[in-house]
Amino acid sequence: MLQIEIDNLNKHYGGFHALKNIDIAIRNGSFVALVGPSGCGKSTLLRTLAGLEKTSSGDIRIAGTSVIAKPPRERDVAMVFQSYALYPHMDVEHNMNYSMRLKRRPRPEIAARTRAAAETLGLGGLLDRLPKALSGGQRQRVAMGRAIVRNPKVFLFDEPLSNLDAALRVHMRSEIRKLHERLEATSVYVTHDQVEAMTMADHIVVMRLGVVEQQGSPLDLYDKPANKFVAGFIGSPAMNFIPVVVGPDGQSLVIEQDLAQPLVLNRKLNPGSRLWAGLRPEHLSFAPVKGDLALNADVESVESTGSMTFVTAGVASQQLVVAHSGRPGVERGAVIRLHISLENIHLFDRETELAVSG
Amino acid sequence: MKRTILLIIGLTITAIYLFPLYWMYLTAFKASTEIFQYPPSFWPSDPQWNFLEVWKARDMGRYIWNSLLIAVGVTTLVTLLGTGCAYVLARVRNIWMDMALFAILMMQVLPSSLMVTPIFVAFNQLGLLASPRFAVILAQTAKMLPLYIVLCRATFVQLPRELEDAALVDGSSRIGAFFNIMLPLAKNGILVTSVLIFLQSFGEYVYARSLIAKNELQTASVGLQSFMGPNANDWNGIMIYAAIYVTPILVIFMLLQRRIVSGLTAGALK
Amino acid sequence: MQGIIRTIRDGSGFDILLLLLALVYLVAFSAFPIIYNIIMSLQTVDMFTIASFDRPFVGLKNYYDILSQPLASTIFWNTVKFVVLSIVFQLSIGFGLALFFQQDFPGATWLRGLFLAGWIMPALVVGAIWKWLLAGDFGVINYILMSSGVTDERIFWLSDPDVALYAVIIANVWLGIPFNMLLLSVGLAGIPRDVYEAAELDGAGAFERFRSITLPLMRAQLGAVISLGVIFTLQQFDLIAALTQGGPANSSNVAQYWSWQLSFQTYEISLGSAVSVMMILFVIVVAAVYVRSTHHEHSY
Repeated sequence: MLQIEIDNLNKHYGGFHALKNIDIAIRNGSFVALVGPSGCGKSTLLRTLAGLEKTSSGDIRIAGTSVIAKPPRERDVAMVFQSYALYPHMDVEHNMNYSMRLKRRPRPEIAARTRAAAETLGLGGLLDRLPKALSGGQRQRVAMGRAIVRNPKVFLFDEPLSNLDAALRVHMRSEIRKLHERLEATSVYVTHDQVEAMTMADHIVVMRLGVVEQQGSPLDLYDKPANKFVAGFIGSPAMNFIPVVVGPDGQSLVIEQDLAQPLVLNRKLNPGSRLWAGLRPEHLSFAPVKGDLALNADVESVESTGSMTFVTAGVASQQLVVAHSGRPGVERGAVIRLHISLENIHLFDRETELAVSG
Repeated sequence: MKRTILLIIGLTITAIYLFPLYWMYLTAFKASTEIFQYPPSFWPSDPQWNFLEVWKARDMGRYIWNSLLIAVGVTTLVTLLGTGCAYVLARVRNIWMDMALFAILMMQVLPSSLMVTPIFVAFNQLGLLASPRFAVILAQTAKMLPLYIVLCRATFVQLPRELEDAALVDGSSRIGAFFNIMLPLAKNGILVTSVLIFLQSFGEYVYARSLIAKNELQTASVGLQSFMGPNANDWNGIMIYAAIYVTPILVIFMLLQRRIVSGLTAGALK
Repeated sequence: MQGIIRTIRDGSGFDILLLLLALVYLVAFSAFPIIYNIIMSLQTVDMFTIASFDRPFVGLKNYYDILSQPLASTIFWNTVKFVVLSIVFQLSIGFGLALFFQQDFPGATWLRGLFLAGWIMPALVVGAIWKWLLAGDFGVINYILMSSGVTDERIFWLSDPDVALYAVIIANVWLGIPFNMLLLSVGLAGIPRDVYEAAELDGAGAFERFRSITLPLMRAQLGAVISLGVIFTLQQFDLIAALTQGGPANSSNVAQYWSWQLSFQTYEISLGSAVSVMMILFVIVVAAVYVRSTHHEHSY
């Protein structure tokens, strides 16, 4: 069953076209991440879902009912804000049950639900504290509590972890995920961090400049990026791109300015077409793998995090980043053989930037 | 060491600046013969307490009451009319709001002494001068409203927009979010600005002088002016009057000094 | 109807309602009087026609009458002197004090706050106090000046036509110092400390730092303070009413006081209107310049 349907949604700010023909369908109970660089419209889309922004055309349905003309309070959505937006003049308890008090729920119910939400989030002892007396992590939990206490149709998250330090962020990531599995509520999660999107969501929508570039499951986006932008955005470190030209046989790729080392693929391509070859750093290795081909490369720099080593290797005038788990034992200035597994090469048209199959 | 020298210089400069205030209080406590001594004394040789006599003789209770009435009226009206406008101007940003804000800034600078001519004639034709204190309230409100809006807007600008969004998502109407979330959070700024408006209106002179004809409806500022007359020499009495008039203002100001200063600077520069 | 209630509850109708509340009031009691003022300045308005709605139209005659009076040039120059001298001294003293209280010493902020006592007081009371300070026979200022040897004879500050205007200016400077100091302090506090430290490392002395960092970075601020100074100085009425009432023989009369005198003491209301229209126009131009300058400040 579909919980949220966004049909051909458009939004203009004056002359600026902020959202362009957005079509998204979200299954009941799924966790959707809206991801993209800043200014891509992901937050605007979330705010239009909440009813905080007006739309120019198109429709939004929540649980089958059109909400496009409804104010936020009639949409039954809860939102966790980036700044948490806790009411500074209310203690934790009143922050959490404000929505129920507005709906004039019976007192015992308000008390019971507030307590239950506080238990869930480990806020039991903090109910009478004001937001200013809480740590960043605690504030984040209160913001979450304010959302779950209402049991809404949809949860909206606007970069809720971006104000936390790295360790706490990783911890809260899994907590939110666990909470979602327990509540099974439909969630829409905005983030600019693709790692967060990949690890948390079961459906990812990648946006750029107000347009949905691609949507699908995290591994779909990783394995079959629809265009160069998505390919470069999903995955860390980012995919390497090298300009290539298809040889006369329709099978070999010639790296520009490096005619000596053609890559021969088992695909049918248009001879002479100009493409980007996309190679993920983790698909490059220093040792031979099955079905690979190898290039000569100069090691330009070696950066190690201890568990992982990132090597920048020069092939002709191009630079390729190689991700190697462990220590590869290569040094700066060395000449090495770089092995590429053929089935993992992504190809994109250089004009349209769309994926090319063949 | 350097800081001590700076402190001493600072104290000296402040003392020089505040000397007129000291002189007012000093004269108020001197005997009426001592004020005409030459050379003047800088400390009363025989301190007097003539405050009650002056209060009664000049009928100050009535003047102060009229001033209070006008100041309370202006402050109430300004707060009721201006708070919402300040909030909207802080919240919505578009070309219309910029124009409205510009118009309000322009109206903030209109001098009372120049506006009083058309206001007097118009109020006279409308029959408003029959209730002159009310007329002064209306005129002074128009003078103070832009200032209030500009200062209050600065308070609302500092409130995060997301708080209101959160309230709306939580199920609040616009009206509810304004009264339950934004107003309580802007309370301090509104209070300080209202005090400022109150103090300014409590000392108002031009409109009271021009629109109020009857002496028994006059304000303390006009009362002081008539006390000073062309050939006044009861400086002892005049300074007592002045001291009674400004002491409450100075006390309120000192209590709220820090907040007034920060409110003013935020409003003037944003 | 339903729709209107809904937009007020949940939509932009709420914003419009709140905005209109104040704007309608301001249009009625600020904008309309200005327009009415312009109309009156083109009519004959005196004691006989004041209550009538049908007054004779005389075109620009009032403006001609007012500008052709010999008094007009006296008052014009008085006003220029009043504004320029007030601002020069308010600004330089205020800037000096702002720089001084910027230093790090105990109680600096608190002492600076005390200065604002001068600003919060009713100008009429300030006028009364200065009238007593400046009194010719028993005024303490004359005593201080004579005993310190600055002058040998008493200065009759308020009754000598040659000095009356300067007496008013002195009192007005006293009133204006706090506001200038406060605004400039804010500007100074906004200059990051590390800019000065960088300049010091580059070898700039205290004077050089002031000239090459403080002044240029304070330019927008100084512009704003000067425009506000012009506006506030042209609002000054109470002080003149308390000190000299424009006298003796108009030697300390300025435009905003003259306009009031014409309307309320000699009942030449249309002449008062004409002066008022010209001055309001000038104030609005200055204010527009000020608002533009603060807008520029935003962008940088």
